[in-house]
Amino acid sequence: MRFIMRRLGFYLVAFWLSITLNFLLPRLMPGDPVSRMLSRSQGQLDPSQIDSLRRLLGVDERPWWQQYPEYLWRVLTGDLGISISRFPTPVTDVIGTQLPWTLLLGFTSLILAVIIGNLLGIIAAWRRGSFLDSFVPPFLVFLGSFPYFWLAMGLLYVFGIALGWAPLSHAFSVGLEPSFSPVFLSDVAAHLVLPALSIVFVSVGGWMLAMRNTMIGTNSEDYILMAEAKGLHPSRIMFAYSARNAMLPAVTNIGMSIGFIVGGALLTEVVFAYPGVGYQLMAAVQGLDYPLMQGMFLTITGAVLLANFLIDIIYVRLDPRVRVS
Amino acid sequence: MISTRIRGRRLAGVLVAAAAATTLLLSGCTAGDAGDAGGDAASGPLLTIPREDMGTFSQNFNPFSPNAAPMTQQAIYESMIIYNPADGSTTPWLAESWEASDDGLSLTFHLRDGVKWSDGEPFSAKDVATTFGLQQKIVEGSFPYVSKVEAADDATVVFTFSEPFSPGLFEVGQQVIVPDHIWADQENPDKFENETPVGTGPYTEVSKFQAQSFELLPNPEYWQQDKQNLPGVRMLAFAGNDGANLAAINGDVDWAPQFMPDIQKTYVDRDPEHRHYWFPPTGAMINWQLNTTKPMFEDPQVRKALSLAVDREQVVKVGMSGYTEPADCSGLSGSYSTWKDESLLGSCDWIGHDPEKAGEMLDEAGFEAGADGKRTTPDGEPFAFKISVGSTSTDWLSVANIISQDLADIGVTATVDAPDWAAVTAAYEQGTFDTGIVWSDNAPTPYQYYRSLMSSETLKPVGEQTFSNYHRFSDPQADELLDRFSAASDETAQHEIVDQLQALYSEVAPVVPLFPGPEWGAYTDTRFTGWPTEDDPYATLATRSPTTVLVLTSLQPVD
Repeated sequence: MRFIMRRLGFYLVAFWLSITLNFLLPRLMPGDPVSRMLSRSQGQLDPSQIDSLRRLLGVDERPWWQQYPEYLWRVLTGDLGISISRFPTPVTDVIGTQLPWTLLLGFTSLILAVIIGNLLGIIAAWRRGSFLDSFVPPFLVFLGSFPYFWLAMGLLYVFGIALGWAPLSHAFSVGLEPSFSPVFLSDVAAHLVLPALSIVFVSVGGWMLAMRNTMIGTNSEDYILMAEAKGLHPSRIMFAYSARNAMLPAVTNIGMSIGFIVGGALLTEVVFAYPGVGYQLMAAVQGLDYPLMQGMFLTITGAVLLANFLIDIIYVRLDPRVRVS
Repeated sequence: MISTRIRGRRLAGVLVAAAAATTLLLSGCTAGDAGDAGGDAASGPLLTIPREDMGTFSQNFNPFSPNAAPMTQQAIYESMIIYNPADGSTTPWLAESWEASDDGLSLTFHLRDGVKWSDGEPFSAKDVATTFGLQQKIVEGSFPYVSKVEAADDATVVFTFSEPFSPGLFEVGQQVIVPDHIWADQENPDKFENETPVGTGPYTEVSKFQAQSFELLPNPEYWQQDKQNLPGVRMLAFAGNDGANLAAINGDVDWAPQFMPDIQKTYVDRDPEHRHYWFPPTGAMINWQLNTTKPMFEDPQVRKALSLAVDREQVVKVGMSGYTEPADCSGLSGSYSTWKDESLLGSCDWIGHDPEKAGEMLDEAGFEAGADGKRTTPDGEPFAFKISVGSTSTDWLSVANIISQDLADIGVTATVDAPDWAAVTAAYEQGTFDTGIVWSDNAPTPYQYYRSLMSSETLKPVGEQTFSNYHRFSDPQADELLDRFSAASDETAQHEIVDQLQALYSEVAPVVPLFPGPEWGAYTDTRFTGWPTEDDPYATLATRSPTTVLVLTSLQPVD
């Protein structure tokens, strides 16, 4: 319990630091939201209206030390304000309509990558020197060194355009109404295949290598030898003795990855016109939309910290050493 | 061991539950928005249009909002008149006719009879008065010359001006009108999201609103039922040109208003019989502006010499993929073709590509070349400067590179400086840049273009933020001509003044005009016909311009 309380205290400090950075960094960028909007409209807006537009959009021109306490208070009370680039839609609405799609895409690809990567890693370490061990990891690392949007575009071209097997864009067919009908769910799944695969292909190599390397270490432990000597079934030794003990680093990685899912897979989402938060985040940064940027960074920070905290708790359970130290 | 297995299963269970919850969340937050779908499948496909710069849509149909959902001002709300830059014509729309008083201080619109809002209420002069009240309340400083808007009777609106301002006709006339019976009671009209809009436009009924797409179905009360021939309009969201282009190439959309590289090969050649594009040069003039507060750009002769050094043919062909045409010395883009003074254009001496003459002019101005072939300013400094352009505008970036090479040929060192647009515009606004590639104002009359480039009203000192006249130039003669233009209500008199403004512009060369921005637009007529073309320029192919409604009311489904 004391351990968890101590961790909790650490997370509170980390949270305060990160929301303060969220507040300061955007304000260090040159320009302000309205002049950004003006330069994007390229002469369509009338310069004489700039000032009132600034007031209309609620661009705060007070010095930062006056805005800061108010900002902290609003964060604590959950009021994220109104988006400037999506005025007058509240930030929570903007994030709320897009986050579920990002989570769906992110979790699907993470779960697939974790399961496939770890299984491959376990088997590769168990059968050292086999085909799986000597040829698959270099190939996956090669695949993983591609920028993932490049892979996304390649998949889109081959399976979407040339072969016509998969839909080209969006999260479900345009014109369908979201429901729990099998038609809609299978349509969502069909639209999910290519974007998720493009992320899985790139990330699976890392999972496999990490698992394989840790497991090689545990394989040489005495208790494995002991288990073998006792005549246990090899698959039981592989999963229950060796893999289980090699799991710890993977759990850490899963925790970190879960946190980052919330930020969205920007380029994958752009390539497949997937309605997630990634593009919105980029647009918010480019348009200096402070409220939206802060809202999104806050969500990401919160998710990263929460995921880490959960992993900490799981660690206590998985690894007795943590409890003692 | 058993416990591990159970834990494993529990973990899997949690994952499945999480996935299910996500799906639930997805449908939960979107299902409520679905409107009446009706039997639109029976009435044929919807006109499908991509929007390339919105990754997702928000259900905001407030026409006063700078970020309203696409088509708010095109298909839902309408204006009193519509100006078409492609042929210079003006179409009476919600107003049947209008007249200005002789002193230019009042403007009267006679509204069309029989127009109804999509909820069945009649459209009247009161709606117009309310709209302008709202616009001036929400964005202070809009229509600064309008002091009063009155409904004289149900069908007549009178605008009283605080000073004569003839270009106001188009600004006032093209403001979209909202219904008084809905908007007058709004406490915060600026924050009103207007999720189910009531408009006079052809397609007002929002349906199937999703983050990635939405549909607008026909207005049941439309005043031109005979022109309302589409089953509806469908907008698709894309987070960039690539996705939108892909949808167009694949034939998923009917109209493609976004930039497409090598459009003939990538788009048209896949179905040459049905696919067409038309890029009229009616966008804003793109200028190369020289910061006239810097001593080296003070002399008009120097600016003209630099202009002569630029190979515009090359700029247009290579930099802009041949999608536009070189500028002429009036600086006016294709949307002002009726205003151009042909006799002036014949005698231009600072626009064509002539590096030799450019070199002579620079020699004369005292910018002579040294032994290494590089020129120096009269003060003995090297004649070197930067050309700023935003790094994301790849087409303008290659334009800047061509200019830089052309200048190197005459011994002038121009380095292309391409940081983020934000940094570039910040330098423009403060007046701290050397030179840069910049857009300009594009309004129905040339008044705004010349005003933003030559008027002392728009001139701000270096260090003070400004949003036009970045190059900081003014001319007293221009001030006088501009004042006369805004006071002139007679079109012949206006043309005469614009002739003089062109002559002045050509004499002082406030900026170096490069090329008019093309208005991108491509379409396929497999599902709908009646598109505007070069031979029938009743509108441009833009989807965000006042003329868009003209296209929406001209298209016919193919049987």
